[in-house]
Amino acid sequence: MRLLLVEDEQELASQLCKRLQDEGFIVDHAADGPSGLHFATDYPVDLAIVDLGLPGFSGLELIQRLRADGSRLPVLILTARQAWQDRVAGLEAGADDYLGKPFRMEELLARVNALLRRVGGWAHPVLEAGPMALDTRSQTVSLNGEALDLTAYEYRLLAYLMHRPDEVVSKLELTEHLYPDDADRDSNVIEVFIRRLRQKLDPDNTLHPIETLRGRGYLFRLGAPPRA
Amino acid sequence: MNHSLQRRLLIVASLVLAAFLGATGFALDQAFRTSLIQAQKDRLQGFLYTILAGADVRNGQLQVPGDLPEGRFQQIGSGLYAVVLDDQGRLTWRSRSLIGQRLDLEQTLQPGERDFYRAELDGDRLVGLAYGLSWEDPTTGRGEFTLHVAESIAFRLEERAAYRRSLWTWLGGAGAGLLIAQMLVLRWGLRPLRRVARDLQLIERGAKDSLEGRYPREIRGLTERLNQLIRAERERTTHYRNSLADLAHSLKTPLAVLRTTLEADSSQPPSPQTMEQIERIHETVDYQLGRAALAGAPRFGESTPVQPLAKRILDTLPKTRPAGPPTIRFECAAEARFPGPEGDLMEILGNLVDNACKWCHEQISLQVDWRREGRGWLLILQMEDDGPGVPEAARERVLQRGHRADETRPGHGIGLAMVSDLVRSYHGEIHIDPSRQLGGARFTLQLPVNV
Repeated sequence: MRLLLVEDEQELASQLCKRLQDEGFIVDHAADGPSGLHFATDYPVDLAIVDLGLPGFSGLELIQRLRADGSRLPVLILTARQAWQDRVAGLEAGADDYLGKPFRMEELLARVNALLRRVGGWAHPVLEAGPMALDTRSQTVSLNGEALDLTAYEYRLLAYLMHRPDEVVSKLELTEHLYPDDADRDSNVIEVFIRRLRQKLDPDNTLHPIETLRGRGYLFRLGAPPRA
Repeated sequence: MNHSLQRRLLIVASLVLAAFLGATGFALDQAFRTSLIQAQKDRLQGFLYTILAGADVRNGQLQVPGDLPEGRFQQIGSGLYAVVLDDQGRLTWRSRSLIGQRLDLEQTLQPGERDFYRAELDGDRLVGLAYGLSWEDPTTGRGEFTLHVAESIAFRLEERAAYRRSLWTWLGGAGAGLLIAQMLVLRWGLRPLRRVARDLQLIERGAKDSLEGRYPREIRGLTERLNQLIRAERERTTHYRNSLADLAHSLKTPLAVLRTTLEADSSQPPSPQTMEQIERIHETVDYQLGRAALAGAPRFGESTPVQPLAKRILDTLPKTRPAGPPTIRFECAAEARFPGPEGDLMEILGNLVDNACKWCHEQISLQVDWRREGRGWLLILQMEDDGPGVPEAARERVLQRGHRADETRPGHGIGLAMVSDLVRSYHGEIHIDPSRQLGGARFTLQLPVNV
């Protein structure tokens, strides 16, 4: 998952970037309104965390411009302004959630995860599909109640696919949203990870949770996969 | 009597008018009475000459033979009488109107003397004129007589009563007319003051910004100062709120940095005391600065319609609920108004709705009622949810600062305390009981409104 952090307070921004990266997110950082808008429109981000008081133009204006362009990017407002008036104004401008400063890191993560889940239509922190369950809080996956041993990359790949159920996800999209740099873009690293995931999730080759659509990408199915 | 300028002026003016009309009536009545008396005296004088013209002396007695031109002298009991006495006071002649009646008159006068007097005949009050005269008679020589002419004053009294009736009717009518005219003039004259009062009410209701339009010179000074005062108050409030928001902002950003920095150092986790102190600073900043930035009391020129604002809040806040927005039931009396600025109502409703969303399973309900109470109104807000409810023992506590019903839920427990504080400062009441409708908690707020 790729996050955009628009925050002008350098110290806080670098702490947040570091912490979010530790959690497995790819983080883009912008320090003012105009560059925040640029990142939000031109980069493949999954969610934006926006401070309201920004140089250039305010976070509120950034959100309004983004929505005026038709973007449905989930936006979390992060601000020291606590009045309900500011909150309601932010939500009316098109933000999806609001968190006041100072905040607990766990709460920020919980809200970011909740917002990401909502895009895929998941209401609860545990994403369930048949015998599979992906817990976004502990970042673990279980099959028939037994924990699976996944690497961080494998987890992120599965989480991304599960956040977009019944949706074709291209290899390029996966690379952009899961890797911080362009280095591996042309390699077959995605295919390798998909193959390993399938082995771990479906050792008996009966579930077929991830379908390959040749030339188009991958598809995670929630219900019973069609028998080939 | 001191509570209405119009009534004061009207009462004083009525008293003055009554005194003036009374005095006028009295003077006119007296003048008329004098002229009536004078007219009667003149009439008596006339009768005297008429009688003398027909008088003659026979056997030393002055007589008036034949009929007098005035018929009333011939008519018995007509109220007009004449008598002649000689110098000894003996009756020598009397008019026919005196037949069968005794009019005791003994006064004799020297020739040339004249006297007006009062007399009485069978209870009838008379005014008399006595006139002394001497009569040369070729046979008996000189004789001295006194001629009395007397007339009842009944006519005069009747005339006077009729006059009085019409006088008081006219004066009363004129008085009533003047009073009505005065009332109209007063209403018209005081209209600018009533307009000021009405405009102030409009400002209070938020329908107007300032006292507009042209006022008379006498109160223009007042209205201009009022406008200045209102403007200054608004500017001051805005400035004050902005400064407080800036202060809160500049305190909280470093606090956020401090906290993330402490949490980021994984080699040395922060001590619980440090985190607790940071939490306390955070809470104090939030509560005290947030509280100070709110108006927190009914103030002049500020009231907010509830419905649009409640709708804005219900349209936005529930969307942020992690499990998705709950089902919302919303009923609101269209006229309902909150007796303070938008920010205060937003704080109350925002915290209530946020709290309900946090605890509900899938349903919340907001009902706003607007009821007449005494001379003002009562605004009743009822926020209900289908969550676990608030245990009876905790109801007092959740409305106090720094107490959370559940320590594991986010938020630092100042929201409801803020609501409770605000409601109290608006002289209202808040209480919690179980929701009969949804089964969870019900927060009921009652706020008096004087619009």
